[in-house]
Amino acid sequence: MSLRDHFDAVTADTDRADGLAVDRDKAIAIAVFLIPGLTLFTIFSVAPIVYSAIGSFYSWDTFTMEHFVGFDNWIRSLTDPLIVNWSNMREFQYPMGALTHNLLWVVLHVPASTFLGLALALLFADLKGRRILRSMVFAGFTVPPIVIGLVLMFVYDPQAGIFNEFLRVIGQGHLVRNWTQSPQVAIYALIAGGIWVHTGFSMLLYSSALSAIDPSLIESAKVDGANAWRRFWDIIWPLVKPVTAVVVIMGIIWVMRMFDIVYAAGGAAGGPNHAYSVLGIEVYRAAFRPQIDYGMAMVVALLQLFIVAPLALYIARMR
Amino acid sequence: MARIQLEHITKRYEDVTAVDDVSMEIEDGEFVTFVGPSGCGKSTTMETVAGLTKPTEGKVYIGDREVTNLAPKDRGVAMVFQNIALFPHMDVFENISFGLRLRKYDDEEVRRRVEQAADIVQLEGMLDRMPDEMSGGQRQRVAIARAIVRNPDVFLMDEPLANLDAKLRVHMRTELQRLHRELGTTIIYVTHDQAEAMTMSNRIAVLNEGKLQQLAPPLECYNEPANLFVAGFIGSPSMNFVEGELTATGFESENVDVAFEPELVPSVERGDTLTLGVRPEDVHLVETADDVTEQTDELYATADVLEPMGDEVFVYLLLSEDADRSMEQEPATAPNQLLMSVTPDTDIHEGKEVAVVLDRSKIHLFETATGNALRHRLTERSDSDSGPTATEADS
Repeated sequence: MSLRDHFDAVTADTDRADGLAVDRDKAIAIAVFLIPGLTLFTIFSVAPIVYSAIGSFYSWDTFTMEHFVGFDNWIRSLTDPLIVNWSNMREFQYPMGALTHNLLWVVLHVPASTFLGLALALLFADLKGRRILRSMVFAGFTVPPIVIGLVLMFVYDPQAGIFNEFLRVIGQGHLVRNWTQSPQVAIYALIAGGIWVHTGFSMLLYSSALSAIDPSLIESAKVDGANAWRRFWDIIWPLVKPVTAVVVIMGIIWVMRMFDIVYAAGGAAGGPNHAYSVLGIEVYRAAFRPQIDYGMAMVVALLQLFIVAPLALYIARMR
Repeated sequence: MARIQLEHITKRYEDVTAVDDVSMEIEDGEFVTFVGPSGCGKSTTMETVAGLTKPTEGKVYIGDREVTNLAPKDRGVAMVFQNIALFPHMDVFENISFGLRLRKYDDEEVRRRVEQAADIVQLEGMLDRMPDEMSGGQRQRVAIARAIVRNPDVFLMDEPLANLDAKLRVHMRTELQRLHRELGTTIIYVTHDQAEAMTMSNRIAVLNEGKLQQLAPPLECYNEPANLFVAGFIGSPSMNFVEGELTATGFESENVDVAFEPELVPSVERGDTLTLGVRPEDVHLVETADDVTEQTDELYATADVLEPMGDEVFVYLLLSEDADRSMEQEPATAPNQLLMSVTPDTDIHEGKEVAVVLDRSKIHLFETATGNALRHRLTERSDSDSGPTATEADS
C-alpha cells in the first residue's frame, strides 16, 4: 500500500464518518511518517543500549562476544579501584575512582556554577552594557570542551600559565605548581575550569528567567515593604525555581558525561595514575585501549546511563 | 489618611522629560485621577508619590512629611498595578498578607486583617486559591485587598482596570467608588480612559507631555476646559474645533462665522487667530433647536456620514457657506467638517442638506497660538456668567 493509498483511505473514511476505521487508518498513516525517524533512532540509540545491556552479561575476546557469564563483568567493574577506590577514599588520596570523581564534580561543580550563574544574572540584570558582559561570560560555553581542556593546560602551566603568574604576583610563589599534573589538587583545578565554562550557561538561562519576571511584581513587593533580600527570597527565587531545576539537572548530566576536558588535560589515563579519571575516560580506555575489556566498557557506560537517564526523563516531563 | 502635595516635580531621563514641573495638592480623602494619553507622564508622576521613581527636581509630601527620598515601604502607600502583579507562587491569603508578614504582625492579627480585607472586596472563601485559578476580576480584587489590608494613608492605582474586559471594567468602576466611600482613603488613580476619569473622581488632573493641563472636578474639565488639549481630550467624541480670526464683529472663518462683541475676549486683539470649540451635542439642526435660547446664525452643510450608536447618531457634516454651493466644495477635509450628535428619531440621511445652529452658551474660544481658553460661553450677559477660566483671562 503506497502512501497515496493511505491518504485516499483516510479521506474516504472521513467521508463515511466511520469512527473506528478513521482511527485505525490514521494510526497507520502516523506510523508511516514515524518509520524513517524511528529507524534511525533504533539503529543509533536503542540498539546500542540493548546490545550493551546484553553484552554486559557475556565474556568478550576483544570484539567477539563469547559466552554468558552472569554478573561477572558487573562485579569486576564495580569493585575495580579505577571505578571506586574505597581504600584511597578512606585516606582521601587521589585517585579515588572514576565514579567518585564524577560525583565530586556533581557536588562541587553543579552548585557552584548554578549559584554563580544566578549571581551574575542578578548582577547584570540592570547593568549598563549587560549584553556585552553576558556575551563575554557565555562565550566560554560556546567553545568546544576539548579546547577548554587545552586552554586549562595553558592557564595552569607552571612556567607560562597565567594562574601561576597570578600566584607569584600576589606573593604566593610557594604555591606554584603544575596544577593539572599534581594528583591531590588537579581535579579541583579542572572543576574550577568547568565552573568557569558552565557558569555562562546557567547565567544565560537565569537571565532569561529574570527578564521574564514582571517588573511590577518587584515594584509591588517594594511597596509592600520587602527589602532586597526578601524580594530575592520571597519573589525571585521561587519564580526561577523551574529554571533552577533545569540548570541543576543539565549540570549533573553535563558533568556525568564529562570526557573532553579530562582527556585534554590528562590523556586517556585521566591524569597521572588516573588521579582525575572519570567514567567517560574509563569507558573509552576499556573499549579502545589495550587491554581491551568490552564487558567493562559496557557496564560503565550503562552505569552512566542509569544516573543520567532519570534526570533527562525528569526534564523531558517538566511542564 | 493624608493629603498629598507635589511641589514642582520634574523627572528627566537622559534626553526625555517625562514630568515637567508638576505641582498640585490633593486633599485628604480625595479621589484624584491622573488622565492623559500614553507617555504623558501620569504614571511617572504617580511613581514619584509611590517612591518607585525619584524625581529629578521637586518635593513630594504625604501628610506633613516630606517623603521625596523615602523608600516606598516607609511612605504609608499601597499600590495596585495595571497587570495586577499578584505573586503567582502564593495563594490568595499569602498574597494579601505578604506586606503584613514582612512587618512581623502576629499570625492572629494577620488572619483577622486579611479576612476583613477579603470581606470588603467580596473574596470570602477564596483565600486558598492560587492566582491562576481565578478570573481577571477576582485577581484584581485580590490586588485591591492586598493594598487595603495594610491600611495605608494613600492608595495608588496605576490603570488597575486596563486589563479587564469592558463589562467587568464598568462593574469594577462602581466597586472602586464604593470602596472609596467606605474607606475614605486618599486615592490617586491613573488611567488613559477619560470615561473612568469622569465617572469616578472628585477631581481630574489632565496631563500632556509631562505638564499638568488642568486640575478640576470632572464636569468643570468638560464644561470649562482650560485649553485646547483638555477640550479635545475630555469628552467622546471630541469637541469640534474651527480655526478663524477675531474681527470687529466676532469670529470669522471660511465656513463658520459667530458674531459677538470682541470685548468678550479682551486679552486678544483683532486679527489674532482663534480656535472655536463646540461639542457635537451643542450643534443642533435648526428645526429641533427650539430649546436653544441663544443660537448662532444658521450654517449650511451636507450630512456626509452617519454613525448610529443606538442612543444617539453621530453625523459628520460638510460645511459650506450656503446650501447652493455645497457641490462646489472641496472634498471632506478637517476645516470644513463638523460633528453633530442627534437623537435616533431625527429625520436625516446621508447626503441630505441641512441647516444647523450652535448653542452660543456652549461655545468655547481658545487662543490658537497658546491653546489657552479665552471664554466658555458667548452669551451677551454679564461676566459673572462666564466660567472662572474666562474670568481669569478677562482680568
